[in-house]
Amino acid sequence: MIQELKAYKNEIIVALALLLLLIALVYKQGKVSSVNSVGSGANSSLQELKEVIALKKVWGDKKITKKVEKLQKIVTPSKVKWSLKGKKLTATFKNLSSQEFNRIMIKIMNLAVELQKLDVSKTETSYQVELKCKW
Amino acid sequence: MENDKPLILIHSQMKYLSSTSPEGVNIMLTPQFYTTKRESLPVQYAYQAKRIAPSLFEGLLEDTQDYKYFVQKEENDWLFIAYDTEKIKSFLTSKGLPLANISKMYFAEQSSALFKAPVLLGDNDALVNIDGTMTVIPQMVLQADEKPIKINKSFTPKKGLALEGRSKSLISNTETYTLAAILVLFSVIYFVEGSRYGGDDAEQEAEMRLLLENYPSLESNYKRESIASKYKMIDKKERKKRDVIKTLSHMIFKGSTLTSLTLNDKTFQAQFACADVSTSNKVKDLAKKEKFNISPISKSNDLKIGGTL
Repeated sequence: MIQELKAYKNEIIVALALLLLLIALVYKQGKVSSVNSVGSGANSSLQELKEVIALKKVWGDKKITKKVEKLQKIVTPSKVKWSLKGKKLTATFKNLSSQEFNRIMIKIMNLAVELQKLDVSKTETSYQVELKCKW
Repeated sequence: MENDKPLILIHSQMKYLSSTSPEGVNIMLTPQFYTTKRESLPVQYAYQAKRIAPSLFEGLLEDTQDYKYFVQKEENDWLFIAYDTEKIKSFLTSKGLPLANISKMYFAEQSSALFKAPVLLGDNDALVNIDGTMTVIPQMVLQADEKPIKINKSFTPKKGLALEGRSKSLISNTETYTLAAILVLFSVIYFVEGSRYGGDDAEQEAEMRLLLENYPSLESNYKRESIASKYKMIDKKERKKRDVIKTLSHMIFKGSTLTSLTLNDKTFQAQFACADVSTSNKVKDLAKKEKFNISPISKSNDLKIGGTL
């Protein structure tokens, strides 16, 4: 029996190598499909979670009130009419030079607040900005 | 172990073997089945020596036969042996020695140092070591005081040959090992790739766990979805508003001034004072690109630009 098997030694070696390859292929496919089913679910959940965290960090920023208050200090108090109630702001900026106007607009653009109303008007050389926002 | 198997000396006068060891046997060929040459060559490796072997035997061998070559490094020289596999195989078969039963094939030349006395080959010939070369001579020329010996396992050299075609295999040894090596290589690649997929999965799970530890309020799927939908909506609307303001700011350049801007949750409207027609056209073109609504103000170059959010 052993001698008979020895006669086919080469075929047996190739068959065993082929079997090993098949096992490896099945193992890899198993891993791939598990990643595609459970894994891709986990991956999309992770991406979704990261997105929610990023959005929360921007639009749910707990320090936003302090950041909004800094808007008031960009120009001299005489040019500002300020009304902050809870998480709502109504502000009017008058007699702004172009530089002051630019500074105010850049600050507003970078604040993570919901702009409810933004009115800008220019008279001769000065600008007036009316802002209503909440967060 | 190959070296533990019985060693049979193969010579032309050997008798028919009715039975052999079921575990297989090793064979040692006498010079009747090979041609030998010793050369001192400036080569370092056996494969280099094997490459030049055919040229060394030029004129010594019959052209009609297909010879194979065996090389072995000796103390000072290279031992070259030319042999005809087909001739050996047919002889072995004729002597009742199944090829499948042969483990390794050796040449008497390899163990020449061990042949310190003659070995009788049948009734007429003897195998002797003459100046380091194995030679078959008639027994009648042996000295009377020379006591013949018999070979045993201890004569088995270290390096042997597998007799090609000894098995019923359809594929040769070289092909087998090459094919097996390729298949094993691919298997290893697949195993590594597979384990990497598993690794990615575990990494993602660990990252997810860490994030949820830092944001426990997001552990509930329902809560997460509700927060996501709320913020996504705000993000989309507010980004749009800021994009509009940014686009309108690009329409302010020499000759074009923003005189008013009104923006709320749903719409926006801006008015630009333009110094001349060409400036007005340039602002118009920029607004058109953004698909904003444009309405010229009569009796001036000024423009009203608006749109929905």
